[in-house]
Amino acid sequence: MSQITLENISKFYGDQQALLDIELTFTDDVTTAVVGPSGSGKSTLLQMINGLVRPNHGTVVVFGKPIDYQRLPELRLRIGYAVQGTGLFPHLTVEANITLLARLIKWDAERIKARTEELMELVNLPFSYVQRYPHELSGGEQQRVGLCRAMMLNPQVFLLDEPFGALDPITRNEIQREFLHLQRSEARTIILVTHDLREALKLAQRLVILDQGRLVQHGTCAEILENPANGFIRSFFQSQLET
Amino acid sequence: MLGVDMRALIILPMTLFLLVGGANAAGVQTVVVGSKHFNEGYILAEIIAQLLEDRDFRVERKFGLGGTLICFEALKNGNIDIYPEYSGTLAEAILKLPRRVSYADLRGILKRRFDMDLLGSFGFNNTYAIALSRSLAEQRGLKKISDLARFPGLRLGFSYEFLNRHDGWPGLARTYDLAVRPVGIEHGFAYQAIRESKLDVTDVYITDGDIEKFDLFLLKDDKQYFPQYLAAPLVRAELDGRVKQILGGLAGTIMDDQMRGLNAMVVLEGKSFAEVAHRFLNEAGLLTSGRQRIEESKWTIMLFRTLTHLKLTLIALIAGMVVAIPFGILVYRVRAISRPVMYIAGLLQTIPSIALLAFMIPLFGIGAKPAIMALFLYSLLPILRNTAAALFSIDPVLKKVSVGIGLTPQQRLRYVELPLAAPTILAGIRTAAVINIGTATLAAFIGAGGLGEPIVTGLALNDTSLILEGAIPAAVLAIMTEWAFEGLEKLMVPAHLLQKPAE
Repeated sequence: MSQITLENISKFYGDQQALLDIELTFTDDVTTAVVGPSGSGKSTLLQMINGLVRPNHGTVVVFGKPIDYQRLPELRLRIGYAVQGTGLFPHLTVEANITLLARLIKWDAERIKARTEELMELVNLPFSYVQRYPHELSGGEQQRVGLCRAMMLNPQVFLLDEPFGALDPITRNEIQREFLHLQRSEARTIILVTHDLREALKLAQRLVILDQGRLVQHGTCAEILENPANGFIRSFFQSQLET
Repeated sequence: MLGVDMRALIILPMTLFLLVGGANAAGVQTVVVGSKHFNEGYILAEIIAQLLEDRDFRVERKFGLGGTLICFEALKNGNIDIYPEYSGTLAEAILKLPRRVSYADLRGILKRRFDMDLLGSFGFNNTYAIALSRSLAEQRGLKKISDLARFPGLRLGFSYEFLNRHDGWPGLARTYDLAVRPVGIEHGFAYQAIRESKLDVTDVYITDGDIEKFDLFLLKDDKQYFPQYLAAPLVRAELDGRVKQILGGLAGTIMDDQMRGLNAMVVLEGKSFAEVAHRFLNEAGLLTSGRQRIEESKWTIMLFRTLTHLKLTLIALIAGMVVAIPFGILVYRVRAISRPVMYIAGLLQTIPSIALLAFMIPLFGIGAKPAIMALFLYSLLPILRNTAAALFSIDPVLKKVSVGIGLTPQQRLRYVELPLAAPTILAGIRTAAVINIGTATLAAFIGAGGLGEPIVTGLALNDTSLILEGAIPAAVLAIMTEWAFEGLEKLMVPAHLLQKPAE
């Protein structure tokens, strides 16, 4: 059980208000998409969950307990994390990137190899790529390696920060398919930040909508589509889904 | 992969150190003889050294030390046991006595204040003289120093020591009322400058062999400004009485023109100091054992010097890495100390190398230790700056991801930050290595040996081929270092992370 709850969260950068009075529980084992216009605080909210950002007020509960900020690395090993632009380490091969964490926590070689092969197959990466460096791969391939790295330790929680933002539409489509495949094969709590509502509706079961650091509405995709809470959401939907 | 190569870097110089350092065996009593880095200093020191060797002492030569103060400090600290010094220099430059004293009084003062014995003088008086080309002297009718006041247009160039000594230029200008502003020039270059008419007047020693070679005219010291400069072995008082007794036998054996002849043998005939010293001792009947001098081959000497040079450079470089890389990391981690640390390292870099070497003497004496210390200080800035800059410039996305996926600060440093910074850090080490090889040639001034030895001696003798004997291997060493680092880069850094030259 991932049991992620944000209790009365506020965050300021100087005078700038990033998040205000967020009260939110994420449903276990489904994909929740956090959407909103840019500057609405989506990424900040995501980074609260793995402790990259610490709130000024309120409590972040993960795995049923408030985050212990003295022991963040341990918590983060249980949370997958992938970002836009892949964030692959350029000095490490594909294999070294994917297996870095597993090697550091001393998995045995067999287990590492089995898990790597399993993941690469799931995201359609040829196993012959293991000795390549990230710069030798296409953007889509790099993104897949990024997913494999984040999934390596089979985390119960998976945070994705605009992971497919920089890809061309065709590649994005493919990866989104693989992502759904991945999700069906290993159920987990996924929180996905995206500015693309279509992507959110395609990949997620639940939506969280932010505007200027405030939580506007959350619920299942169907609930929100049928019953937008206010005019902002209606116009946001219109601007994103038309054309 | 970083770890393995680092180990090789540490083992190599250790081996060299043993190789070079191992030459010193225990056994017979060792006497350390020093000398300043000019012709006569070398010859007199070599005479002292060979005489002691003839009487079965083991002699360690620390010749070509940077100047009077360096030699005197070295003797005071016990880094050397003996060096030839001049009575006038002791009275004026070291003791700064307000008035002239007799030789006997001088001995008393040295004994009381520094516990040193000034032995009986060799005999000659090598005082300063003011020299110019004979043709110019005849053309302008210059005979005495006081005549200089009539020609304010003359270009005066003096050795740095002369320019700054109490008994050098300041007093001379006052005594003779000279208003000209002289320039400073390395003594070895002054003669050539006069021959090529780039300079008119310079300071010389009366026994200088170059006076004949360059056909110089010495102006008469008509106001008797220059004090007496009687050369004598200056020794530490606690030195073995037998040594003092043996060296006492040198008193009164060399007169003015004899000394000029010995100097000329080196300067004009290109004989080695050792050869000239041997010939003198032989002719003076001071050698008892009739043993032949064994002179090592030029190539052996050059190899030995190169190894010494490498040893100085590598030890300093590794010490520099051991200190500067962690400090670079600290600067990156702790912003508050970043400025002070960088300023201090930058400040060290601005100290002229010869001055830095001189500062090291009171702390570490002379020889390899102070040289390594100075080179170490010089290697700090390039390594420190590159380490910090490389860490600061790592892609922020990578930094965020490495934190976000759960790496501890140590793991981030080891698996992400340092490998990404490695090419730039390596470039800093490479800069430091090449700077060190160049600067280490100056280490000969404080008796550390190495490839600077022939350069320093060559400067003293105005001997270009001798200078090249040190300069060429040093240049080759620098080029080989560049190659070695290129190889090391290829080993340690994946090709796509190396900075490629702009196309």
